[in-house]
Amino acid sequence: MPIHEKSLIRPENLKTHDELVIDGIDVSGHWSTFIEPRVVTDYNEALEEEIAALPGGEYIHRCWQCGSCTNSCTVHAINEDFNPRYWIYLIRMGMESELLRDKDIIWQCVSCNKCTYACPRDVFPEGVMKATSHWLERKGHTPMSPSMHFDEVFTEQILKTGKIEESRTIRRFFSRTKQGLFQGWMIEMVKQLLKHLPIGLLTRMGLATFIAPRTRDWSRAGSAMQEYIDEQYEKQEQALTLAQLVEVAREDAAA
Amino acid sequence: MTTKDKYKKVAYYPGCALEGTGHAYNRSTKAVGKKLGLDLVEVENWNCCGAMEVKNVDPKLQTYLSSRVMSVAANEMNMDVVMAPCNGCYHNLKKAEYDLKNDAESAEVVDGLSKKAGHKTYESGQVETIHALDWIKDAIGEDGLAERVKNSLSGIKVANYYGCMYTRPRHIFPEKDAGPGSESTSKPHFMDDLLAAAGAENVEFPLKTACCGGAHTLSDSDTSTKLVLNILQAAKLAGADVIATECPTCHTGLEMHQIRAEKTLGEKVDIKVLYFTQLLGMALGLKPKKVGVHENISDSMQFLKEKGLT
Repeated sequence: MPIHEKSLIRPENLKTHDELVIDGIDVSGHWSTFIEPRVVTDYNEALEEEIAALPGGEYIHRCWQCGSCTNSCTVHAINEDFNPRYWIYLIRMGMESELLRDKDIIWQCVSCNKCTYACPRDVFPEGVMKATSHWLERKGHTPMSPSMHFDEVFTEQILKTGKIEESRTIRRFFSRTKQGLFQGWMIEMVKQLLKHLPIGLLTRMGLATFIAPRTRDWSRAGSAMQEYIDEQYEKQEQALTLAQLVEVAREDAAA
Repeated sequence: MTTKDKYKKVAYYPGCALEGTGHAYNRSTKAVGKKLGLDLVEVENWNCCGAMEVKNVDPKLQTYLSSRVMSVAANEMNMDVVMAPCNGCYHNLKKAEYDLKNDAESAEVVDGLSKKAGHKTYESGQVETIHALDWIKDAIGEDGLAERVKNSLSGIKVANYYGCMYTRPRHIFPEKDAGPGSESTSKPHFMDDLLAAAGAENVEFPLKTACCGGAHTLSDSDTSTKLVLNILQAAKLAGADVIATECPTCHTGLEMHQIRAEKTLGEKVDIKVLYFTQLLGMALGLKPKKVGVHENISDSMQFLKEKGLT
């Protein structure tokens, strides 16, 4: 297959020789850069469908590669490797191994929705980024990202009490991601706040950590939502063929 | 009934952040409402809208959470306008409204969950969701505000920072970009208009709708710090003394990462961060404590003293 994306030429495959003569012809230097050929064989034909089966990825098929998403992207501006347009391309082509090269940064999407604002095809690239990071985690390519940990801690608290009490969420998040809470800048922040002694605020926030604010009669809503999450998870597992994999492994073990 | 009258009494949805880190915004919004003779009736027994997090687990759950808030306002309180000062809450309610109207699947999931939870399903169109900016702008207006100003904000240079959730994505805000007088999603101006009416001098600030990285303020702090530092420096370069905010996540993010930028990158940017309701409140003659200036992380008292607002 011809090379269809410039980014697919890996820098390590570009060969420039200081002194090289082939059949009596001098091909040294920059003018005669060679590209070492490589063969991509591991297409995952189901990749696009798998991403589309996860929440946010539904409209990936609409993309016509205009690049408005990457062009407007907040994270791209601080990290050039963060390239939604390219990832959507790879997913649609089924080039899984290429996508995996960027697996550790895809979760960093800040959900600013500039891409969704700019997209002329209503792909909702922000959703595709979330679906892709979920896919990476569900397939075991990456550990759960700090962002997903945060989403989980947050959602758990809402299902339980209906409301968020910030310091509780922050503490749980830090302990789950095994970070120390007493980082220099955190301490500095609290120090600054203490300087002007917002006693009411501190009392209220302190009290809230003991008696979590809650929505009354919330348990039915909480369990209905949990039920819905479980149902959806099951459906997605089917789509991701993970379920079948488990089945095959079981049969294999039994035999 | 005109919009002006309709907004005189609205259901107030503060949301979780305004009960915690964003309490100054809660306090100042209520104080300004009281001063202007506007009635805020808090949504009874409200729940979290899902913020930026629940949607990553499942967007339809977020739609349900937001719909419940609107259902309570409409069906239990008979209100037809919900005012949410927090950009996150405002955005989520607007998004739920859009999805319930345009996506049958979302409507079905929300209906199922509402029935199981034991409350009336919210039907799209039952309430109108507005931001605190719409509220003051439409119920009082610039002229009305100018008449009531006791301490002009003159001499204070303000960079108005609106953030992401107030303007993006465009499709959930059908009333924006609707011609003269309406709010713009690319160059929002409602906060500029209100603060100008209170005498402030707004600077030309190109990063009005830039992202502060609020969604990753803790999970990817280095990215947030870079984004915030960019906003702070741009505001400073534009000549601003103060960044006016209208979202508790942006506000806390700016304050937190202002400190973090100094601690981790050695970049100190000397600029104040205040909620627009705090500035308006002081212009209307309220003392800084009444609008919760002491509840902000950074200390602006000296600055406010110099500007004659204490």
